[in-house]
Amino acid sequence: MKKNGVKMIKINSKNVDVFYGKKQALFNINLDIEENQVTALIGPSGCGKSTFLRCLNRMNDVIDICRVKGQIIINDFDINDKSCDVVRLREKIGMVFQKPNPFPKTIYENISYGPTIHGMAQSKNEMDEIVETSLKKAALWEEVKDRLHEPGTGLSGGQQQRLCIARAISVKPEVILMDEPCSALDPIATAQIEELIDELKKDHTIIIVTHSMAQAARVSQNTGFFHLGELIEHGSTDKIFKNPENKKTQDYITGRFG
Amino acid sequence: MNLILFIFIVLLGFTSYYFGRKKAYTIQSTNKRLTALPQFYGYYLAIWCAIPAFIIFSLWAIFEPTIVKLLILSDYSNQGYLDDELNLIYEKTKALSRGQFTGEITPFIEASAEKYLSLRSIAQSSKAVIVLSIIIASVAYAYKKISSNSRTREPVEKFLKAVLFTASLAAILTTVGIVFSLIFQTIDFFKVIPLFDFVFGTHWYPAKAFVRDSSEALDPTMYSDTFGAVPIFAGTFFIAFIAMCVAIPIGLMSGIYLAEYASVKVRQYAKPLIEILAGIPTVVYGFFAALTVGPFLKEIGNSMGLDVSAESALAAGGVMGIMIIPFISSLSDDVITSVPQSLRDGSYAMGATKSETIKKVIFPAALPGIVGSILLGVSRAIGETMIVVMASGLAANLTLNPLESTSTITAQIVVILIGDQAFGDPKTQAAFALGMSLFLVTLCLNIVALRVVKKYREKYE
Repeated sequence: MKKNGVKMIKINSKNVDVFYGKKQALFNINLDIEENQVTALIGPSGCGKSTFLRCLNRMNDVIDICRVKGQIIINDFDINDKSCDVVRLREKIGMVFQKPNPFPKTIYENISYGPTIHGMAQSKNEMDEIVETSLKKAALWEEVKDRLHEPGTGLSGGQQQRLCIARAISVKPEVILMDEPCSALDPIATAQIEELIDELKKDHTIIIVTHSMAQAARVSQNTGFFHLGELIEHGSTDKIFKNPENKKTQDYITGRFG
Repeated sequence: MNLILFIFIVLLGFTSYYFGRKKAYTIQSTNKRLTALPQFYGYYLAIWCAIPAFIIFSLWAIFEPTIVKLLILSDYSNQGYLDDELNLIYEKTKALSRGQFTGEITPFIEASAEKYLSLRSIAQSSKAVIVLSIIIASVAYAYKKISSNSRTREPVEKFLKAVLFTASLAAILTTVGIVFSLIFQTIDFFKVIPLFDFVFGTHWYPAKAFVRDSSEALDPTMYSDTFGAVPIFAGTFFIAFIAMCVAIPIGLMSGIYLAEYASVKVRQYAKPLIEILAGIPTVVYGFFAALTVGPFLKEIGNSMGLDVSAESALAAGGVMGIMIIPFISSLSDDVITSVPQSLRDGSYAMGATKSETIKKVIFPAALPGIVGSILLGVSRAIGETMIVVMASGLAANLTLNPLESTSTITAQIVVILIGDQAFGDPKTQAAFALGMSLFLVTLCLNIVALRVVKKYREKYE
């Protein structure tokens, strides 16, 4: 989306280095993410694309030995700064994981979890509304509206993943991070999620890590190619896929390695 | 003698293994493909050595004493002895042959003893000869039989399966045996004491039964109001309740700390340290409760003007709770750790704090497992004996005051069975009845605990 003809930058990362213990996993990443666009991060396994994704909502804090250096600026604010409140940050930046991970609670409780934590609903009615809109936005409402109080773990894999997406959007995040959201799903469920991603980019900025080149080409407007912890090339998806500048990018996209 | 024979047979087994394998190698060297690895040929021969040896040893153990007895007593037949007298003569003979006979030695018995000794030595040597020759024959037969295409792997696998099966059967049969020994004595007990009096009676005073002279005829009416189990059941559950009041909060909180907050290093040292508590013998806990905690509580109570018994339910229950902490903390730590990391990630990614994540996601997910660990702790508390015997007194008071002394099922079993007992006496049988009820209670708890844990396992799949 363009504002006054200028692309709005949502996330601006500068010189990001990540270390696991003594091993460096990411080298000097500089990547800008455009607002209300889908940005795909591609690259072979172990190249650091998921690590970079987890930097954006400080999920790497959970790993004891992980250290992040550099600046990641979201809304003019460096999230690696000491004054950053991780709880607020993660409210703004939602995440969907590789394997569907609904909580062992009911479908309703899965969605109401985030709004409850952040005190977003004052009454039961308000909460019901949040649950309904979130499920509708995640294209799951029709399938589960009659069994909101059954366990979320009882849904199929594709439904579980859409439930996780609904859970993520329940707190109205500005950015949604998706870490290979379709890798555990069958082609039909994958198609549904991809359609959903396209829908969601109206209200959210989306960053998706994927192993499938076809998926990156289908859903994203921008693409970044990672290799061995470095960002080799980034730009519009069209350009990366049709006319890459770097030889490595071309080799990877044409399936010569990775 | 038997030991030497046994060692010899074991050596034979190794030798036959060696020969079997060697033959396999020989076959292999003629470029024939074997049906199994060479060591299976070795094991196969060793089995041909072990099974006949086992069969002959068992048969010998069953029949040798009977045959020797028949031969000895044949000298005394037709002399008008009764069966009991013959048995006595045989026992005397055996005692004399071992040099343990202290009474008057008659020439008859002396002759029998000599005959007994010679029969035994004949039996021993013939056993050795028979066993060795049969083993050698069977191994030789099997050795000749094995060839490149003989099946050796299957019999070896079957043999192993049979050995493992026997081992597990032994454990199960022991349990069944214990239950049966309890059942029969319990039934005898309830023939004298009505079940109703036992279950609903409020007066437990087995000492009354000590007074009876066992030669007197049994008069059930004298036991009325003696074996009323309510006070000791109440005491058992009361002390277990106190114990769980100590163990559940401390155990759970330390389990949560270990699983969620402790760094790898702290956990590495703290967990074994907590588990050391589980390794302390309960008798040590017992005198800790009786000699340290009990008097300490009494002193504090007295200074506050309370009447505290030196042997109080509180002291016993409290120390028992400390004993159970490691079970609950260790098990709940395991259960919490096994909650998938993806659930934690999901919760953190929603912006939940650590304590919110634990309270709202991890604890509910781990709850069935935690309940299972608590139930296991309860069944330990109910079955615990030493602490109660030492610290809570033996008088079966029906009370809910934790500062008074009370008694439990296990402690009463100890009281009843210490010292001399007469079998077939209601007092002794009362112990079996108590044991049976204890067994039923812990069995139910364990079944519930296992059910709950099983349900938990299906949770994430």
